[in-house]
Amino acid sequence: MVGMSVVRSAAAFAARLNPLKYGNNVSRLLTRTIPKTEQVAVRWGHGKELFVVKPSSYYDNRFLRLLKYYLLLTGIPVAAIITYVNVFIGEAELAEIPEGYEPEYWEYYKHPITRFISRNIYDTPVKDYEKMMAAVQIEQEKAEHRLANLEVRRQMRQRGDGPWYQKQAVDKSFIDHSPKASPDN
Amino acid sequence: MAGRDFDKDVYPEPPRRTPADNKQTGLPNPALIASKLFYYSVDLPVTKFRECIDSIQSGKKSVYYHQRFRRVPDLTECEEGNYVCYYEAEMQWRRDYKVDQEIVRVLQERIRACQQREGASAPQNCSKEVQDYDNATKAYMSRYGDLGAYASGRKCLMKQKERMINAQKA
Repeated sequence: MVGMSVVRSAAAFAARLNPLKYGNNVSRLLTRTIPKTEQVAVRWGHGKELFVVKPSSYYDNRFLRLLKYYLLLTGIPVAAIITYVNVFIGEAELAEIPEGYEPEYWEYYKHPITRFISRNIYDTPVKDYEKMMAAVQIEQEKAEHRLANLEVRRQMRQRGDGPWYQKQAVDKSFIDHSPKASPDN
Repeated sequence: MAGRDFDKDVYPEPPRRTPADNKQTGLPNPALIASKLFYYSVDLPVTKFRECIDSIQSGKKSVYYHQRFRRVPDLTECEEGNYVCYYEAEMQWRRDYKVDQEIVRVLQERIRACQQREGASAPQNCSKEVQDYDNATKAYMSRYGDLGAYASGRKCLMKQKERMINAQKA
């Protein structure tokens, strides 16, 4: 690796001092003056404008730009809405349930956005509860039916007096009774 | 938790018993300076902001209520195999679990408030709150103690059965 960099720097040196290049006469080589960087541009202060060699920051900046854009695209409206609701509408206060009044299911929450979501988006928790109970009851009936089915199969197979586990026999008119007519045949 | 809504008549703050000032030096009191600094830099702006917001919001207040649930038959009162009854008992047990957690939290809050009020004389004056909290946590641990994250009414019932068996053995 070091050997490679030495070769590379040697090649660069050779390229720079290539005698075939313009301005590299033997006569000029020893007497030419290298221009100083401070003396090049005229009178605007901080020296020559340099081309600083560094990796491209375009992709990084593009990423940050897009990140800020997409975050603020929904972030600013959401923050504005939440600020408006908290400043101008305000949270509810706790109160005793008046006599004979059944509060709506959204009136059990404090923050107005929670109340809004509960009122417009979610179902009433009573409905969710009843749905769950209905699902539990259906599964319970299925389980009971399966157990009853097994018991009925067992009983019918054992006793033989039910409609299941019957085997169709041949009709008795097909039986040939003629060998049985004479006993000592 | 900040800003808890509770009835100020039910959980009243006790009357202040701060003794009168008995200054014996001529130097300014740094605690007084610090408290005045805090008041003018933090307390006053925050209070003014709150009053400003309240004046914007005045009059349009809505209310919210504390939901009360009907008592349903317990897990011990359900017939075997009646899974709907099991479900309702389980939901009731979970609500009671949450209520018990909040009770313990309120007692903790009381101890903290008492400690803050009394300051250096807390070990002497807060003994009642500490006693209440000890009783409550003992009861809570014996009932809900090591049930874990997947606690359920059945597991709690089995734990109670174990407790009763051990109590009978002893």
